[in-house]
Amino acid sequence: MQIEITHQPGNSAARVNLQAGETITAEGGAMIAMSGHLQVETTTHKRDKGSIMGALKRLVTGESLFLNHFTSNGGPGEVIFGTALTGDMMQFQMGSGPALMVQAGSYVASAPSVDMDMSWQGFGKALFSGESMFWIKLTGSGPVIINSFGAIYPIQVNGEYIVDTGHIVAFEESLNFEITKAGKSWMSSFLGGEGMVCKFIGQGTVWCQSHNAGSFGSALGPTLKPH
Amino acid sequence: MQITINRNGENHGPYPLEQVREMLANGSMQPNDLAHYEGAADWVPLHQVPGVTGDVSPPVLKSTAPAPTATKESFTPTGEHEHEFRVECKPDFAYLTVQIPANQTLKVEASAMATMSTNMVMKTKMKGGLSRFLGGENLFINEFTAEGVPGEIGIAPGSPGDLEHCYLDGTKEIFLQSSAYVGSGMGVEVDSKWQGFKGFFSGEGLFLLRCTGHGDLWFNTYGAIIEIPVDGNYVVDTGHVVAFTGGLQYGVESVGGLKSLFLSGEGLVCRFSGQGKVWIQTRHPTAFAQWTFPFRPSKNN
Amino acid sequence: MQSTIEGAPAFAYINVDLEPGETVIAESDAMSSMAADLDMVAKFNGGFFGGLAKTFLGGESLFVNHFTNNTSSTRRVSLVQGTPGNTRQIDLNGNTFCLQPGAYIASTPEVNLGVKWAGFKSWFAKEGLFKLTVSGRGSVWYGAYGGLLEKEVDGEYIVDTSHLVAYEPQMQLKIQLAGGLFSSLAGGEGFVTRIEGKGKIIIQTRSISGLADWVNPRLW
Repeated sequence: MQIEITHQPGNSAARVNLQAGETITAEGGAMIAMSGHLQVETTTHKRDKGSIMGALKRLVTGESLFLNHFTSNGGPGEVIFGTALTGDMMQFQMGSGPALMVQAGSYVASAPSVDMDMSWQGFGKALFSGESMFWIKLTGSGPVIINSFGAIYPIQVNGEYIVDTGHIVAFEESLNFEITKAGKSWMSSFLGGEGMVCKFIGQGTVWCQSHNAGSFGSALGPTLKPH
Repeated sequence: MQITINRNGENHGPYPLEQVREMLANGSMQPNDLAHYEGAADWVPLHQVPGVTGDVSPPVLKSTAPAPTATKESFTPTGEHEHEFRVECKPDFAYLTVQIPANQTLKVEASAMATMSTNMVMKTKMKGGLSRFLGGENLFINEFTAEGVPGEIGIAPGSPGDLEHCYLDGTKEIFLQSSAYVGSGMGVEVDSKWQGFKGFFSGEGLFLLRCTGHGDLWFNTYGAIIEIPVDGNYVVDTGHVVAFTGGLQYGVESVGGLKSLFLSGEGLVCRFSGQGKVWIQTRHPTAFAQWTFPFRPSKNN
Repeated sequence: MQSTIEGAPAFAYINVDLEPGETVIAESDAMSSMAADLDMVAKFNGGFFGGLAKTFLGGESLFVNHFTNNTSSTRRVSLVQGTPGNTRQIDLNGNTFCLQPGAYIASTPEVNLGVKWAGFKSWFAKEGLFKLTVSGRGSVWYGAYGGLLEKEVDGEYIVDTSHLVAYEPQMQLKIQLAGGLFSSLAGGEGFVTRIEGKGKIIIQTRSISGLADWVNPRLW
């Protein structure tokens, strides 16, 4: 399996070349185009690990209910993945490191050797962080493709680092985060428009997205047709 | 120290440090290839492995993604063309500037003009007919004429994305998804009433314009453009089709059977066959439209 | 202070590395990430009355955030505008530069932000009666939705009002219809800005209103 991310960071696409017999699993709706002979199978869960819980988990993590499995039978083939919004994608190689926690909605595709589960972050954090209550927890080995709204930049945390809510794409499970104020005082945090922020604590990498989709939606919203 | 390299999911090595340096120098390895060395907790980009490069690098994406393959930011035509033009800010916010000779006219999609010389005169024309409504497209087209002396016009399409130019030589035929049209010379015929492709009106806004004649034709995308040479058989989600050359056979179908049509989230796809070229866009307009829902004003307020 | 603009042109953002004792000022909600021990304090955008004036007249936020490095080594703050698009830096050396409402992102402390009367005509173009000026000494970061192009005007040039981002203060702006009355309304161009003089203007290659025109027919 060979993955190439093109057109970064504005409108990234992931071009996956499959060897004969190889499979890649992707979020429902992610496929843009593919070789004519690829076989597509739709499930609510990871292949061979079906359960109704799998489907429920997918719903609560903000992903599509369905996964598509693209298999290149009878020779090599390619499939191209995209996302709904403009933005970047990155390829992450799962290995011996800590599990990867991915923001709801940012999962695009993965090799069959990668396992997917959900992780509960608690009501409090979800309520105040504006992030989902559930994160997708990826373990196992092999390539994973995740997407973001904006360019992705990594921060290697050694101690503490602050990331504004709405700017987190993924982080290594070796990090903890808590919700706190951005400024010296709560008053300052709210007057300055920053409100609550996430403070990451420990050692590991957090991947941030440069832009906040909610801010863009708020700028565009007033010009749109009412519903 | 022994270093293992992982490239595209395959492990190579382990190699001694000296050999890795050589391979890096001769280009058989890249600084961003993933590497694992004895005692390391995790895979890191090769250039971060101690001793591989001399300097201390800043934290870099732990990703095997290659450097951006984005086309150069500015484009001026070298092939056949009717007007002098350039495209800037490719590929995410491509912006077209066309030079118009004195007293000549250019057709441009409505509300796309961003800048122009003061001698440009704009006239608004009705285009198409009822079919325009079906295509969800603007009913009007603007004609810009450079009065007396040469002029220029800068064109900014509404959607964020790239721009492509085609020169029609009288024999070529290009089919455009209707909202992809940006502008054309006066010698290009844009037929919006043409309904040759039965079944193409798939409810995803894929409504086609048939472009023939002589002259420049510009079209744009939502997202980046990927040009796919079709030789045999290729499948594209209908929402990602931008344009294709005449002569390709096509069919609309669901991906992976009827069950997948409703469950897979992929909707309908276009299967192209034969020989020709398909331009696809990396983003889906309908998906964006759905995303805007929570930000739209409510009718009650 | 070291700064770089990354992610351009699609998703430009600014990394500012502050040395001990240094401060950078940014519009409300511009911070995307920062070192946990930087101090952030919200202040009126140019004093209470100045802040009110800029909010109601210049379309900017009432409060701005001051990020100050009170530690003993370099600390980073990353700043970004609310929409995708490009960002530019201008270094002022006693000169003045004019920004369209909403373009301002951040500046160094010695830069003055002001509002100036833009004339009744700009009100018709929904651009507000006032324009935002930046002057003094230091760096200013500004941006807009889309790519940014710099153009030298010598004489006259027409820019669709929603595509103008910034201009040099000597440029004269006049609002007019794009064509005849019918064409201007049906053709979707509406008002345009006629720019006169000799100097630099910055335009954006996409606009939020253009994006709305594109997406609205797809909404139901």
